[in-house]
Amino acid sequence: MSSITIKNLTKSYGSVQVLKEFNEVFNDGEFITLLGPSGCGKTTMLRTIAGFETPTTGEIYIGDRLVSGGKTFLPPEKRDIGMVFQSYAVWPHMNVFDNVAYPLQIKHKPKAEIKQKVERVLSIVHLSQYAQRLPNQLSGGQQQRVALARALVAQPKVLLLDEPLSNLDAKLRESMRFEIKEIAKELGITVVYVTHDQTEAMAMSDRIFLINNGVVQQSGTPDEIYNRPANQFVADFLGKVEFFKGVAADGQITIGDWKQAIAYPAMERQGKVEVAIRPENIRMSKTEGTLRGVIETMYYLGDVNDCRVRVGDALVRVIAEGYSHREFAVGDEVLLNVREFIVFDDDGSLEEQLKIKT
Amino acid sequence: MIKTLQQNEQDSMKRSQTIVKIALVLVFVLSTAMIVAGFLSMRTFNASGFDAENAYASIRSLGTEVARNYRADTAAMLDQLDGGEREALGGAVRTLLSDAWGMDEAQMTATAQETLGERVDTEEALYQLLAATYAIDGPRVTSSIKRGLDAVEDMPAFRLALLSAVATGSPASEENGLAQVEALTKAYDPSLMMQLFFTTINADYTPVSDDVVTTYKRAVRGDEQKVTSYLMAVSGSVSLVQAMVIEHSRTTILLGVLLAIDILLLAFLMATERVWKLDFKWIMILLIIDFLLVFQVLPLIYLVGKAFFPEGSFSLETFTRLYTYSLNWNALKNTLIAASATMVLGTLLAFPLAWLVGRTNLYGKKFFRSLFVLTYMVPPYVGAMAWLRLLNNNVGTINVFFRFLFQLDTTTGPLNIYTLGGLIWVLTTFYYPYAFITISRAMEKMDPSLEEASRISGANPVITVLRVTLPMMTPSLIAGALLVFVCAASCYGIPSIIGAPGRVHTVTTRIIEYYGRGTQGVNDATGMAVFLMVIAIIVLYISDFVIAKRQYITVSGKSMRPNIVDLRGWRIPLTILVSLFAVVVILIPFTTILVTSFKIDVGKSVFDPTNFTLGQWTTIFSRSETLACLKNSLIFGAVTATVGIVVACVMSYLLQRTKIRGRKLPDFLITLGSGTPSVVIALGLIMTMRGNYGVNIYNTAYIIIIAYLIKYLMMGMRTVVSAMSQIHASLEECSQISGASWTKTMFKITGPLIFPSIAAGWFLIFIPSFYELSMTTLLYSNSTKTIGFQLYEYWTFTSQPQSCAMAFGILLIVVFLNFVLNRLTKGEFSI
Repeated sequence: MSSITIKNLTKSYGSVQVLKEFNEVFNDGEFITLLGPSGCGKTTMLRTIAGFETPTTGEIYIGDRLVSGGKTFLPPEKRDIGMVFQSYAVWPHMNVFDNVAYPLQIKHKPKAEIKQKVERVLSIVHLSQYAQRLPNQLSGGQQQRVALARALVAQPKVLLLDEPLSNLDAKLRESMRFEIKEIAKELGITVVYVTHDQTEAMAMSDRIFLINNGVVQQSGTPDEIYNRPANQFVADFLGKVEFFKGVAADGQITIGDWKQAIAYPAMERQGKVEVAIRPENIRMSKTEGTLRGVIETMYYLGDVNDCRVRVGDALVRVIAEGYSHREFAVGDEVLLNVREFIVFDDDGSLEEQLKIKT
Repeated sequence: MIKTLQQNEQDSMKRSQTIVKIALVLVFVLSTAMIVAGFLSMRTFNASGFDAENAYASIRSLGTEVARNYRADTAAMLDQLDGGEREALGGAVRTLLSDAWGMDEAQMTATAQETLGERVDTEEALYQLLAATYAIDGPRVTSSIKRGLDAVEDMPAFRLALLSAVATGSPASEENGLAQVEALTKAYDPSLMMQLFFTTINADYTPVSDDVVTTYKRAVRGDEQKVTSYLMAVSGSVSLVQAMVIEHSRTTILLGVLLAIDILLLAFLMATERVWKLDFKWIMILLIIDFLLVFQVLPLIYLVGKAFFPEGSFSLETFTRLYTYSLNWNALKNTLIAASATMVLGTLLAFPLAWLVGRTNLYGKKFFRSLFVLTYMVPPYVGAMAWLRLLNNNVGTINVFFRFLFQLDTTTGPLNIYTLGGLIWVLTTFYYPYAFITISRAMEKMDPSLEEASRISGANPVITVLRVTLPMMTPSLIAGALLVFVCAASCYGIPSIIGAPGRVHTVTTRIIEYYGRGTQGVNDATGMAVFLMVIAIIVLYISDFVIAKRQYITVSGKSMRPNIVDLRGWRIPLTILVSLFAVVVILIPFTTILVTSFKIDVGKSVFDPTNFTLGQWTTIFSRSETLACLKNSLIFGAVTATVGIVVACVMSYLLQRTKIRGRKLPDFLITLGSGTPSVVIALGLIMTMRGNYGVNIYNTAYIIIIAYLIKYLMMGMRTVVSAMSQIHASLEECSQISGASWTKTMFKITGPLIFPSIAAGWFLIFIPSFYELSMTTLLYSNSTKTIGFQLYEYWTFTSQPQSCAMAFGILLIVVFLNFVLNRLTKGEFSI
């Protein structure tokens, strides 16, 4: 168990800089998620920690030991890391037991110890009865767990996971998500988890690092990142959000397109602002609310009711609870109440920031 | 109302089904009728009691008449020529003699007088002289005849006279006599020419040798059916139509049998599919199957039959005779040892090279990769020639260098190419690329995270290679090794150049040697060929049906980012080692070929100013014979590749886009064909395609092209099939949904998408066909010599520097073609 310290790390391929100035500490025992759109540099970061890539500049420490940086470069096999690959990378010519035992065999551990440790880790991932199977006789989820068992068996200090769930189907993904989280908690291991799936990140992480364009946009707990996004990109990447331009003055923000205003007693920002509103934070009612609008479309999705309400010139998305589709109908006049919103300065960078999103 | 409509529909369906069934039965009856008619006319023919002696005599007496007329005509024509024309004619023949034989005027006159006395005038003397030259053996003879004929092309009567004059020469050997018959029968209407022989050799001034008579009698016997029907028609015992049926009775039987097989197969397919409707796709499948049945299955079955039933009844006599002869045992042993050693060495070389080039940060790995793959395109005999120059026991450059380096006092050695070891060495340097390519492809397909997973588990790169990469590669490794084994075992070019002088015989060289030795020899060749065939089929079975099933599928969805191993301290030493290997195996041999092509005397240095010449190059580019061979090779290659790629496209469509029953059958036959050793294919074709089974393409270009097709079709097919499999059918379906017809879809969507593969497939068939040697050695005739064979001939009989120039020329053409391919497919393909 140890922390990972990254200092002034950059990585370039030729003239293309994929990682710009990374300075982070992943604490001992923390479950860290590197989240971001494809091509943002998160996998490169992970592979640099693993030792499959050399940093262009900067240093990486695992615990107190310098593993990459300056003239030092410790090859992957000497870093004492467990890693799970997106394609599982379970060796097809070995059975489950041999796959899992491999890291211990490489270290020339005694046979009895190997057997005991492999059996223990296989029971953790619920694969005890499959020890003698060949990988092609296993399902995707089972292969995934073989890969996890193999990464854990040698009790590494750090566990790296590279989009481990992206090849699984939705149901399995959900259950594996909690299994991995549970196992990590049980072993108290430092985990670095790469994904582009925000739900995964929200569900599993102690801390999320949201990366875009090789730069960490924001780091923090899922709650911080979701509710207090550092910039428009972060707000947009996590969850659903709509941006409206407005002017903040006298304790309220007048939103141009709405031709109406919402209360803003805090007045942290003044003048031209951008208001980010999450559709689930708007309450729709027939009797109470500050904004007036008319329901234009309604999509009933079972658990929620996804509506578009015309307010002034704008269409505002509102996600109401599922039951509400019985109360309202298209064409109804409704009242809206914005319970929570985030205010950014309108510096004209919004388009630019959102364009990168993939 | 609705019910009646359905009823009607059902009725009409039933009706059309009945019609199809009746049609099938009718065609089957027709095919049976053809078989019966064929056999009946065969019986008529047999009843006519063919007797070679009699037939020979009859044709001779018939022909005397015809020939007398020709002679009169020729004399009249010579009389009619004015002075200028006579001079032109004489000039042509004179040029011919001086050109082909280096005779000066005095020699011509002397020879003419010696041969002819003073009986004839100058022009006749000259063509008599030409005829006399024919008595001398050697490869130049037939070409001189050809030249003579070309020289007088616009004088048909004179050409006939010239031909008859040629025929009066007494052939110096049996092969020569056969070549003569062949040259003449191919030149003009065969039956006319046949008459001509028997009369001209009877002419008053040249005595007929027994050899000649034997040769012609054999020619008559070989064309038994034709001669009989011809004689019967002339003697008035049958009508002309009957004579034709008799002559073609075997073809009729063959067609009948094919038709019967097709109909039975079609009926079987329809029955299993339960659709009694004629699908156009079945016709395509049947056409391909028919072709392969006649030209591939029939010859192979014939070979096996001939080996076990040499005289029509079961006997192991051929095998007993063959394998009690120690030379054959040695050949067998040599083949197995050489092929196994080549397999082991080749694979041992190929795996580390493929790994270094594909998976490490070796310097210049892209360059090395294309360099190693390049050897794949080089004709094997070129390598043999180069190594012969380098490792010849006495004068080999490397030997001389070593003797100088170590101050050895001997005049021979230390290395000798004319040994089994030498053979293995050259085979290895030429066949390891086969394993290299197979292994490299598998490595490219392997998911790199499998290796990364091993590294992160604590294994260093060496352990990773040993415990993960190597075991994962094992199936491909075995497949590559077996490919090398079968190629080395069935190679003819290399052992014929290296083995023959060193008396290191292999099965292939024995087959070709036996083949040249009359009937018994052909039987023996068959016996040896069957052995080679058995090896090939076993290997093919193992690699296609056993290993293919064990192939690990490890392709992941993510883009492949190969795991590059940092060699660090080893990077420079290993790069040097690989460079050295490239220098020894590629640079030195090819340079040797190039350097030799500038020499006059191969024994002396090229830097000796008296020994340097560009003459070899100007000669090969100006000699019409060489250019004719080059033209032949280009035409044969282009025709083979074009026909082959059309079949390949049809096959890949059938395999990838239809679920039609029976589509796997031609695929299986094509795979079998490509796995059959070249020599075996050629031998089978020779023995079955000379009219005895109803097809006579012996000594024509067709037989060569068909042999190439059988051997190389699969290379093109695999390329197109794999390209087609990568195009999802939805792309085509989308085009059809958008309103494009099937044809339009093929041209607008599928065609452009697979075009690079079609081009690559075309070249993959073209290149080996272009420089082919093993099959051509057995199948060529004077008018169908190829550049590969010409090169071999020059190496053996004429001039090594000249053949080196040709070899380098071939090399340049192949490299150029590869460049064209690369451009044509926008860098997607090169071989």
